[in-house]
Amino acid sequence: MSSAQACVSVVDDDAAVLRSVGRLLQAAGYSVRTFSSGQDFLAHPDGGAPGCIVIDLSMPGLSGLQLQQALTKKADRRPVVFISGAGSIATSVEAMKAGAVDFLTKPFDASRLLGVIGAAVERDRGSRGAQLERAAVDTRLASLTPREREVLDLVVAGKLNKQIAAELGTAEKTVKVHRARMMRKMQVDSLAGLVRAWTSIQPPGAYST
Amino acid sequence: MDVHSASRRLLDLTGRWRAGAVPGPLAQMLLVAVGYYAAARVGFAFTLQPHPISTLWPPNALLLATLLLAPGRAWWWLLAAALPAHLLVELQSGVPKTMVLGWYASNCSEALIGAALVRGFVPGPLRLDSLRKVGLFLLCAVLAAPLLSSFIDAALVHLIGWGESAYWDMVQRRFAANVLAELTVGPLILTWAAFGVARLRAASMARSAETAALFGGLFAVCLVAFDLPQIDAHVAPALFYAPLPFLLWAAVRMGTPGAASAIALLTVTTIWGAVNGLGPFVDGTPADTAREMQLFLIAASVPMLLLAVALEERSRAEREAHEQRLQLTHLSRVAMLGELSGGIAHELNQPLTAILSNAQAAQHFIANKTGSPEMLSEILQDIVLADVRASEVIRRLHSLFRRGETEFRPLDVNALVGEVLDIVHGDLVTRSIEVRRHLGASLPEVSGDRVELQQVLLNLVVNASEAMSAGTAPGHRVLTVCTEAEAGAVKVSVIDSGPGFTAEQRERMFEAFYTTKAQGLGLGLSISRAIMRVHNGHLWGDANPGSGASFHITLPAA
Repeated sequence: MSSAQACVSVVDDDAAVLRSVGRLLQAAGYSVRTFSSGQDFLAHPDGGAPGCIVIDLSMPGLSGLQLQQALTKKADRRPVVFISGAGSIATSVEAMKAGAVDFLTKPFDASRLLGVIGAAVERDRGSRGAQLERAAVDTRLASLTPREREVLDLVVAGKLNKQIAAELGTAEKTVKVHRARMMRKMQVDSLAGLVRAWTSIQPPGAYST
Repeated sequence: MDVHSASRRLLDLTGRWRAGAVPGPLAQMLLVAVGYYAAARVGFAFTLQPHPISTLWPPNALLLATLLLAPGRAWWWLLAAALPAHLLVELQSGVPKTMVLGWYASNCSEALIGAALVRGFVPGPLRLDSLRKVGLFLLCAVLAAPLLSSFIDAALVHLIGWGESAYWDMVQRRFAANVLAELTVGPLILTWAAFGVARLRAASMARSAETAALFGGLFAVCLVAFDLPQIDAHVAPALFYAPLPFLLWAAVRMGTPGAASAIALLTVTTIWGAVNGLGPFVDGTPADTAREMQLFLIAASVPMLLLAVALEERSRAEREAHEQRLQLTHLSRVAMLGELSGGIAHELNQPLTAILSNAQAAQHFIANKTGSPEMLSEILQDIVLADVRASEVIRRLHSLFRRGETEFRPLDVNALVGEVLDIVHGDLVTRSIEVRRHLGASLPEVSGDRVELQQVLLNLVVNASEAMSAGTAPGHRVLTVCTEAEAGAVKVSVIDSGPGFTAEQRERMFEAFYTTKAQGLGLGLSISRAIMRVHNGHLWGDANPGSGASFHITLPAA
């Protein structure tokens, strides 16, 4: 099973629900960790292994939504699936707005839960891949000399070698050498590849203004 | 029709009547005829010899009571039904035919006058169930009808020239005999028709024994007082009072049917004694004897009848008030459960989720051949526990939704608090309210109605949780429930960390229909206080020193 390595953390104040949902996910091949409250979950970091988090919306103490906010603050980007025993439209809308991937009303069918969890795990895997990609680009970017970095910025801005040479006050030949070295360090072999790598590390919404 | 089959038919008719069916018109006419004949025979039997002066003439009273029970359009044929019986019984006594018909006319006139007067004030069949109706009956049927018809009767007798009594003597004698008959027979028929024989059959053993003791005792006392040869004239006045305790007993405990029956028994035994020359009413002329006895019986009967109906009226008012309280209590309880429906759904969905997920996990384990028998049996055990939990939620809800009588039983207050907090658990959790319990150890039991006391606590908890979720930030919503023993009582406190209440709210919160909630009925606290009053307990509210409100109840230890 492709999800064999994925880890699902379940947070629910009801011991019977916690145990049964844990068993179900275990039977489906996930590695499962269970927590009886939001505080318990925050106090025992689960290592952030790839997977997702299932959170009961109504819990005494820290509520499901409050736990989600705390996780966002801790930059835990794993997808959150909410489950609730008294699903009202208002709370489900609030949960989805806050970034939950799905919202299930108890009692839920196994196929529905496992479908939602599968999609969430898949999404986590996808976003983790992109994350690794970004980290690699960051590392390569850091290996550039200041001059190579200047060349990169101007290349990405669409300047020709001649214009770059004029702007940096060097010979066009020197620019060509810097550019070739920069392209090698960035592990790209075309302008299109360079732009794609550069774009992947820009903060979201960088182009909107 | 021979006597045997006629009596069988009559038995059959009364049997159907007993079963609750109103007899058909023919059966009614037959009943009237038979009743009239029997009543006339009683009237003849209660005549003081040697002078033919009847002391109690029941046929007219029987006719009047029948008319009062029947619709107006039936009156004519009901009166017509009495004619054959009248002819049969009167012609035996050798009275001229014109006089017999004249008496039929005057008897009918008494029934018609009385029934029409009463019907003028009270439309529909008469039930002697209020002081007003009994008063009207006494005025119209017992006083006016015999009075007016006595003039007619005496005039007819005078006109036809039968007998040699003076006109005023005749009026007076006939009036007294008919007043007594109306007073004896009228209430007997009217109250028993309303009460029904079926209810008598449904009476408990204790009730039947009490009834037997009452009427047995009354009969024995009446025999001694009125049906034995008079031993000592000086004891007689005291003997008049001998039946009084039994009459009071009947009026207080048996209602109007009991009082009417006791009056009838007293009247019959007294007159029987006098007619047979026994008891205290033997001296003097027959006319004097009759008058003395009639006055005694009338004076004894009227207050008993009034007392019985007054008590019945009061106990009915009390019953109605009690019924209304139960209805209102139930209504507000159901309304409160309606408000809690989301939380209750939560409480049921938890075990249902556990059951479903456990069962489907087991299916997966079996399909993958990965589940050990130990694990599968653990899963099944969890399913059983969740099922028990769900059915417990439903059982508690059922008892709260049901409308029942107030039943006092010994109760453990801590268990009661636990049950209430279980019911609202879902609601409290959805509102992010933290619950703290400080339950006192070894509290004495209290005596109370489980459901009604649960309702009081539910009301306090729901008020607290609504106040907090409206006016307190999540994370600061704390509900504290304390129980403690306190000087022969148990005290339960429900303390919230909400915004508390203002001086005006404090003043008015126990008033009915006062509410600060957008969708409240404003009945919760006033009904809770009424419930506590029934339990001899107290309910009051205080503002907390810091913030929030505290409500306390005390219940006397059982």
